[in-house]
Order: sequence, then structure tokens, then C-alpha cells
Amino acid sequence: MSDPVIETIDLVKKFRDVVAVNKVSFKVMRKEIYGLLGPNGAGKTTTINILITLLKPTSGQAFVDGIDVVKSPEKVRKKIGVVFQDPSLDVFLTAYENMYIHGKIYGLGGKELERRIKELLDFVELKPFADKVVRYFSGGMRRRLEIARALLHDPDILILDEPTLGLDPQTRNKIWEYIKVVRKERGITILMTTHYMDEAEFLCDRISIMDHGRIIAEGTPEQLKSIIGSDVVLIKFSDSQKPMCLDNDLDGAIISCRSVSGNRVELVVRDAVKTLPRIFEEYERKGLVIEEISYRRPTLNEVFIYLTGRELRDSLEDQPRPIHRWR
Amino acid sequence: MYSFIRSLNYFYTMVYRQVKRFLRARSRVVVSIVQPILWIFLFGMGMGGVFNFQNPMIDAFIRQQFNGLDYMTFLLTGIVAMSIFIGSFISGVSVIFDKQFGFLKETLVSPAPREIILLGRAVGDSLVLLINASIVLTLGFMISNQLRPEGVLPALSYGFVLSIGFASLGIAIASRMNSMEGFQMLMNLLIMPLQFVSGIFFPIQRMPDWMQIIAKINPLTYAVDGIRYWLTGRSEFDPMIDIILLMILSIIFLVIAMWSFRKATIED
Repeated sequence: MSDPVIETIDLVKKFRDVVAVNKVSFKVMRKEIYGLLGPNGAGKTTTINILITLLKPTSGQAFVDGIDVVKSPEKVRKKIGVVFQDPSLDVFLTAYENMYIHGKIYGLGGKELERRIKELLDFVELKPFADKVVRYFSGGMRRRLEIARALLHDPDILILDEPTLGLDPQTRNKIWEYIKVVRKERGITILMTTHYMDEAEFLCDRISIMDHGRIIAEGTPEQLKSIIGSDVVLIKFSDSQKPMCLDNDLDGAIISCRSVSGNRVELVVRDAVKTLPRIFEEYERKGLVIEEISYRRPTLNEVFIYLTGRELRDSLEDQPRPIHRWR
Repeated sequence: MYSFIRSLNYFYTMVYRQVKRFLRARSRVVVSIVQPILWIFLFGMGMGGVFNFQNPMIDAFIRQQFNGLDYMTFLLTGIVAMSIFIGSFISGVSVIFDKQFGFLKETLVSPAPREIILLGRAVGDSLVLLINASIVLTLGFMISNQLRPEGVLPALSYGFVLSIGFASLGIAIASRMNSMEGFQMLMNLLIMPLQFVSGIFFPIQRMPDWMQIIAKINPLTYAVDGIRYWLTGRSEFDPMIDIILLMILSIIFLVIAMWSFRKATIED
């Protein structure tokens, strides 16, 4: 594999007495989609802001295409296209004017700029709205315009900070589709942050899970899931019985167990296909009747819980949780 | 050479943006033209009446107090400077607006040097204000016969230097602030004394001594005086001194603004 396109080494950022980023090191390889996954306040956006030269790190180093972001911010800025977490369009200008200004600031011009603007507005399906003022755009339309704008100067690296935050499911799917197409057709490297598990799983080749300013795990979605074993088994007991975990781990086949709502327990097991009969047997021996049983591959959410003891997002499960530090 | 052309391109882009944006906000266009006109009509006509005695002797004496101008012409030339001054000073609010709506970040991550972006913003806002001032002046020619058409261009160039200076100062202050309300209140607080102690409404020579001292260190005074000179041929100071002082000041403000804008990160 070639040299990393983005590399951070022991990156630290302190805001007064709060350590937002704590010794973060990762490498993003060429043409891969790399995700920083974690709850709000994990330090993802701060890491991004250092990489895009808006913040200076307290210590540590960061390189974009081999260029030090602290020493040569101007050179880094030419290489990257950024979609910020918060909106960054000029809402009093039209979609076309927003694109035009961006193109000019990045040194494009003339017929070439015009052609590219049209092509990209077409790509994000905003061509009919090119001359409409952005103030009247929906959140999804604005996001699409921002993605088109970030691609306008043909950057080597696209940086997306929570690209689908607050969007409805249809719009999210569309944005995912754009991101996949962009990578396939332009072959650019994408670094993105998200706190949506499904998004990270669907889009990213490799993921770093962040929590409290640190990277707590890194790998492909499959590798991360294999951290906690292969399968999750959900068992529902009849209403008259109290759900309970087994005191026997079946020779290491059961990795963890916890009770969840609806009179159920959730087991993480090494190999569900082989372990399920033994689980039946074991509960029967204890005199408990299993009403329903199902198993599935673990999600990144379970990986996160395994690593931190907390849920990544509020879920409907009503089991007690530690107090959230994230906003 | 190549980088110069590119810088020019960045510069032009920010000018384009500021002008486009201003024109799109129709209420701003209307207010910035109507406000000076209201001053001229309501204040000028009201106050002008006080100084009009229908007696050639007394009227000549009064005119003498106003650099030899009738009060309406005196005020009108001052209001042209005032509209440019206020407009440029408060134009810095767009930096705070861009901070809140995120567009500032878009320009801060772009490869365009921040100094050029700042200069583009200041010049863009200044151009708009000069167009406004021209509209006000056109009206002025209709109500006063003491104005010189040949002085319009030099007067507007004085206005341009004034505008660059105060737009820069406004941007320098705004890049340190996060609240639009706070910025506007601070501006109002600064604008009030500066406009009264500048010779817009009454001549400096008739002010009490202490006030004359303040007037002489107020940059706006020299813009008012210079603009009044070119439009009417009458002034208190040498117009060359006016423009030299004004330029020195604008350059100082511009350098402060560049320094302050360069340091702007999203931390503050």
C-alpha cells in the first residue's frame, strides 16, 4: 500500500482545561473511506478542524498528503475539500453564486468553471435550483450543495464532518450514494466523521472508534465486530419468568450477557449456530422456558458498548446506563 | 506575476460577493439611501430655517460661520461623508454574520490569503457605499446650487479612503466578537460622538476649545472637511493635509484588521 494520505501522530488539543483530543494517531490510505466514529464530544470535529487548518494542535503532528498542517496550512488548503458539520453556505446568494465564489477562490475560472458547476449541480440533482437563493433551500438541499461545492476544485481529499446530521432517511441514503459514487468515479480519499453506526458500517473501509478524545479501537467494520465475537443472541422468556443470565459460560462460548427490556436477555456468543442448542439445553436444565430466540451479527453499536460500557446513541432499551458525559 | 493575477482573482471574488450580497438585501439598500436623505430633509430643513433670517446682512454673517455655505449645503456635504462613515464602520457586522452562518469557515479553509479576503471584503463594502453616496449627492445637486460637479469624483475618492479605513476597523473589531447585538451596540456608542465632533452638523471653529481638540484627532473630521472642500470649494483645513492624514489612518486600520483577521480561528 502507498504512503498515508492523512496521518496524525499523537495529536493533542486542549481547550483551557478540557482535553478535547488526547493523543490521537491514525493513517488514512489513498482512495479509502476512513471514518471517525463516536458520540458527540468525542473529539472528532476537533480532530477534523486541526486537519483542515482551522485549529492549531496543542501538541502532536498532522500531515495531509505529506504536508504539515501547522507549517504549511496554505498548501494543505489547496488539497482538501471540506463539508463542515454546521452549514457554511452564503444563504443570501444563489446555489450557482455559492459555487462560483468557491471556484474563484480556489483559482478556477471561465468556461471551465461554468462547466464544472453545471456538472456538479447536476450530480447532486440541484440543477433546476441553480438560480434560487439558498435561504429557501431545505436542509437536505443545502447539504447536497455543500458536497457539490467541496468537489468543485477537484480536491485529492474530501473531508466530511457528520455529512448526514439531522437529515431524513431518504436524504441520508442519497448522500451515501453520492459519497460512494464520488469515491468510485473520482478515486479520491475520504475522511468522514459520524455518530451513526449504520453510516460508518455502510460507507467506511476502515473506522476508528473515538471516545473522550481517544481512539479506542481501529479496523475494518468486520475486524471491529470480531472484537466482541461473532454473534448476538436475543432470548425472550415468557412473562411469568424473570430473565436471567447463565452462570455457566459454556466453555467460553458465551462472551457476555445482559438483560434488556421486554423480558429478554442479550448474549454475545462466539458461534451462534453451534451454541444455540447448548443454550436451550442449559436453560431447560434450570427450568426456564424460552419463548423466542433470534440471533444476528453484531453491529458497531454493540462493539461500542463492549468497549465503553455505554450506548453510542440513545436506544429504546431501558436498562440502566451510566450518566452521559456527551452532550 | 502569476500569483499576483491569482490574488487579484481572490480579491475580485470577495468584492463580487459583498456587492451581490448587499444588492440582494433590498431592505439594506433602501435604508442606507433613505437614512441620509431623511437627515438632509428633516434635520437640514428644520435647522436651515433657524439660520434663515430673510435679511441679507444677517444671512451673510451666518453663512460666514458655516465656511461661507448656506446651512443646507454645509449639512448635505457632511451627510455624504457621514453615510459613508457609518455604512463602512458597521459593515464589519457581516464578519460576525458569516461566523454565525458558517460562511467565514468556507473562506478560512480556502487557499486564498486572508489578507486578500479581508481587502476584498472592505473594498466590496466601500464600492456599495460610494454608489449610495452618489445617489445622495444627485439629490444634493437638486436642492443646493453651491455644489461643484467637477468636485464629485475627488470627493468620492476621499470617501473611498475613509470607507476602507473604517470598514477595516469594523472588521478588526468584528473578528474579535461573536454577538451581532453586542457589535451593533458598540458601533452605536462609537459612531455617536465621532459624528458630532467632526464638523458634519456644525463648524469646528465654533466648537469649545476642548471639543476642537477632539475634532482634530477624529479621523472623520478630515474626511468631512476634504469632501466638503471638493464639493463646494470651502473648507477649514488644506485638502491635501486631509487626504494625507486620512490615508495614513486608513493604512493603519487596514494593517490592524489584517493582523486581527489573520489570527481569526474558530476558537473565538
